[in-house]
Amino acid sequence: MEHKKRTPLKEQGKTFFIAPAVIWLLTFTIIPLIYTVYLSFHSSRFLQVTGFVGFQNYIDTLTDYRFWSAFRVTITFVVFSVLITVGLGLLLALLFNRQMRGIKFFRTICTTPLFTAPVALGYMFMIILYEEGGPINNFLQALGLNSVSWLSDARWAVVSVLIADTWQWTPFVFLVLLAAMQALPRELYEAASLDTSSGWGIFQHITLPLISPALGTVSILRTVEAFKIFDLPFALTNGGPGLATRTLTFNVYTNGLRDQDLGSATATAVILLVMVLVVSLIFFRRYGSNYD
Amino acid sequence: MSGYKKHSWVNIILWVLVVAVLVWMIFPLYWAVITSLKKPADVFKLAFIPFAQFEPTLDNWRSEFQFRGKEITQGLKNSLIIGIGAALIALAIGTLAGYGLARYKYHGMKNRDITMWILSQRFLPPAAVVIPFFLIFRTIGLIDSVIGLVLINATFGIPFAVLITRDAFRDLPEEIEESALVDGCSRFQVFSRIALPLAAPALVAAGIICFAFAWNEFLFAFIMSYAKATPMTVVIAGTQDTQGIQFWYVATRMLMAIVPPTVLALTVQRYVVQGLTFGAVKG
Repeated sequence: MEHKKRTPLKEQGKTFFIAPAVIWLLTFTIIPLIYTVYLSFHSSRFLQVTGFVGFQNYIDTLTDYRFWSAFRVTITFVVFSVLITVGLGLLLALLFNRQMRGIKFFRTICTTPLFTAPVALGYMFMIILYEEGGPINNFLQALGLNSVSWLSDARWAVVSVLIADTWQWTPFVFLVLLAAMQALPRELYEAASLDTSSGWGIFQHITLPLISPALGTVSILRTVEAFKIFDLPFALTNGGPGLATRTLTFNVYTNGLRDQDLGSATATAVILLVMVLVVSLIFFRRYGSNYD
Repeated sequence: MSGYKKHSWVNIILWVLVVAVLVWMIFPLYWAVITSLKKPADVFKLAFIPFAQFEPTLDNWRSEFQFRGKEITQGLKNSLIIGIGAALIALAIGTLAGYGLARYKYHGMKNRDITMWILSQRFLPPAAVVIPFFLIFRTIGLIDSVIGLVLINATFGIPFAVLITRDAFRDLPEEIEESALVDGCSRFQVFSRIALPLAAPALVAAGIICFAFAWNEFLFAFIMSYAKATPMTVVIAGTQDTQGIQFWYVATRMLMAIVPPTVLALTVQRYVVQGLTFGAVKG
């Protein structure tokens, strides 16, 4: 016993605590990920692997107009979703960053959308945006305006998905940025308002730099989530009309599990994964020190 | 005087905005609620106010439970099992890891690397693993099984549990635990008897967030279940195929899917910002 180096008290059980998480995640994410990459280099029939095909699945995918359509839809969605939710969320946070009655109630209202299932959200907006007799079109007609083809026109369908997404995620950005702003010391504003008269000046030189970590975090989280979108267009427009709201995840589902073409589905999945990985790396580079 | 005037103008604009935002936030939910209370004939009319503009009725709710009661109660039950099961596994694994990361310095793979790796599970697009999961589960007989869905959702919940509890354990004073160690407690005893009870509120919050995300999950549920394991999200997605555009039924089911996780999440509002930003922003 004597010659064995005793583990210091504070170091006891170190592996025990972390091991379950590591094992679980290796089993449930790393192995499936490797399997996905493996499948993307193989051909298959009736969900059975039949042989190694090199990059053929990638070539097929990258020459498929449906892939490029989904790619365009996904990127469009990511760009607009992030710009709109972060923009509006920031604006609202700036406006509400003050002592106000009822702010608690307001925050409660804002928490609700975050926990609404995106599928349910899709149906919720389908009822509202329904073209023949939905409340929005009825309202537009009552005002003497033309009704809008919310779900049957390719452009408007994308707008509709964005509207529903904005409803769900603007409150999240708002809550995060409001929390970041309210964590700033009050004296800072008081001192600043003596120096500068314009609200814009205070925003530009004080608030913005100080909340920029929160702003960056929330933008990247939103970006990552937007890349993954599937449930909402599935419920709201079922990917249509045509391919208008079919995202990359949608293609993975239709190619792989409906048409049983595992090769192109997994190739699409890998391409999506790489895109999300790039965004994630930016996040971890910039904000990794939070996790020391 | 002018200063006062300017101030009141700002206030007026602000309140107009508050009202506009509130209307925008509440309207979709409100419309869903009144749609579920309308007779089919009233659904496609521009009628907002019950009693004044249309006669509210509970018929839709009644006939939902009468004719599709089995499907719905099964859906709710499955969602509940999947949500609770996933939350419990995620919590069990997550609190251990959260404690480990808060109290030890790991070498080789440093704390930061481990945390980021765990967190990256949340960034991972589900589409990237859905096909292997489908094939593996088909082979081992976990298709249309709540157990399979519990396992998958637990995986996606672990990052929340780790990050939230890690922050909670870090906020606890280390001295109590150290003196308990000196007194001869094992690390696990210190963890389970001292740290865990003190971090209970954060644990509950993490559990509820995991529950809500598992309840709301759709992609895997849709692909991995078709009859006895279908949770509520899949039940509402089936409404369209089977009933055309009977919005009065769509609305009832949608509300049943929305209410439980939302109401639960409101009880831990304080942790929502911190939890959903993985500790990057404190709420």
